[in-house]
Amino acid sequence: MTEIELKNVSYIYSPDTPFRKVALDNVSLNIHGGVITGLMGHTGSGKSTLVSLLNGLNRPTSGQVLVGGEDVWADPKQVHRFAFKVGLVFQYPEYQLFEETVRRDISFGPRNMGLDEAEIARRVDEAASFCGLSPELLDKSPFDLSGGQKRRAAIAGVMAMEPEVLVLDEPAAGLDPRGREEILGGIRSYQRMRGSSVVIVSHSMEDMARYSDEIIVMDHAKVKMQGTTAEIFARADELKSVGLSVPQITELMNRIRERGIPVRGGIYTVEDARDELLRLISERRGRR
Amino acid sequence: MNDPFIKIEDLNFSYTDEEGNEARVLHGFNLEIERGSLVAVLGHNGSGKSTLAKLLNMILMPQSGRIVVDGLDITSPDLTEDQLFENRRNVGMVFQNPDNQLVATIVEEDIAFGPENLGIEPKEIRRRVNDALAAVGMTEFARHSPHQLSGGQKQRIAIAGIIAMLPKCIIFDESTAMLDPRGRAEVMQTILRLNREMGITVLHITHFMNEAAMCDRVVVINDGEIALDGRPQEVFCHVAELQEIGLDVPQTAELMYELNLSGVRDGEGRELPLSCLTVDECADELCRLIDSL
Repeated sequence: MTEIELKNVSYIYSPDTPFRKVALDNVSLNIHGGVITGLMGHTGSGKSTLVSLLNGLNRPTSGQVLVGGEDVWADPKQVHRFAFKVGLVFQYPEYQLFEETVRRDISFGPRNMGLDEAEIARRVDEAASFCGLSPELLDKSPFDLSGGQKRRAAIAGVMAMEPEVLVLDEPAAGLDPRGREEILGGIRSYQRMRGSSVVIVSHSMEDMARYSDEIIVMDHAKVKMQGTTAEIFARADELKSVGLSVPQITELMNRIRERGIPVRGGIYTVEDARDELLRLISERRGRR
Repeated sequence: MNDPFIKIEDLNFSYTDEEGNEARVLHGFNLEIERGSLVAVLGHNGSGKSTLAKLLNMILMPQSGRIVVDGLDITSPDLTEDQLFENRRNVGMVFQNPDNQLVATIVEEDIAFGPENLGIEPKEIRRRVNDALAAVGMTEFARHSPHQLSGGQKQRIAIAGIIAMLPKCIIFDESTAMLDPRGRAEVMQTILRLNREMGITVLHITHFMNEAAMCDRVVVINDGEIALDGRPQEVFCHVAELQEIGLDVPQTAELMYELNLSGVRDGEGRELPLSCLTVDECADELCRLIDSL
């Protein structure tokens, strides 16, 4: 259960030029191990920059990034080790598929780690199954898959490296509701089975409400909020003030409470709303 | 329909791969879009939505069938090049990724790109650029560089670039998919304004059910056919059917559906209405129910 810690991290693009841009401004935070953390924030708030620091892809302008207690940049010659510890899946990863078959594409990472063939095969099969890719798809060309399948193949390629922390930037963007469910459900079962740490960057409040355990909210290069999913979605006004929102169902339950009906707060999924209303209805019926 | 802006009759379209395998996308497809209406098009990835959009704009040509846009049969073999260009100008498209649609280094130059290519005289271009910027609420950014803008702002610039060509219809092909919540709201407000105030006919292809709920009409495409078609309140009542084809309904409708499944009935023993698509409507209905107990 690897934790990531950022200590006073700043990142500045094009320093010492007229285009100087502070993307992260003295950020300190803990990304907890063994849970799914949702990373939210408006466009340009610093989410993707933050993600690029987690495995040594970029070096902070100042401050420290610690993965499992180890400083990523303690020895710059060894920084590549963190690329195996922290697996990054970028936006629209399906454009990065390049091999002749899906199986070879998913094997690419594990093979570069120097694993033996039996271990590679085991990992490929397991990652494909988490991502809902059936065995017969593995021998096809990645270019013969549907958009959603390609996306899942690309994610499986990173999962197969069995990183201690899996980080995904907008893994469900542009997919239809079932496609979103397949991807995010697969990520969750991977996380629950392996007990590893997962970070998901997303603009979908509904998806984050359903799939994340904890949430970090970025705003203008700083961390604005951090807490459990219930804690964060209870702060609807603050979320709106940073250009985000709460799920429609949360807004509905808040509205009902404002009208004097005693439903509990912190409801952010349809299932919870249903159960709360059923409880209230049967309580009132029982009293009559 | 009184005045169809788009009329599609018995349309067939299939893609053919290098090996000659045919994949049918639309078969015997019929659809009319009323002039000045705001229509949401829903369907899972691969259902034929984007193909339909590209056919209307003549990026693709059908194998058979007829498409009439604003009285012009764009599938006619006698269509002249001038008519083709007129249709492309009449029916603008805004795509998913704002970064792929901006061509200039200054916002106002980007918006001028379309009218310049239409050979419009400079004075008129100036006027159109100003009007288009105002229509999307981006006047103060006229001299900014597009790369400094947020996703929602970039997408509004892309829309302004289309408006400057004075289209009668705009097709939004998942134009909100990559945006954050504020960006999505900005673009949706812009779409509503173009439709309500400027009378532009809008087809809005989206995976966000809340956006579809704001439109006049919702058309659901599944496997190249129309599965559901009607007002949002009618279409989103079909919760089970929509879920079956991999789509969703707004969370308010889903909640009412779930409560019905759990046996909740109103004072007269009726099921709760699934047509509550806004937070206010749904809150009204639930408060009335609970207060009656």
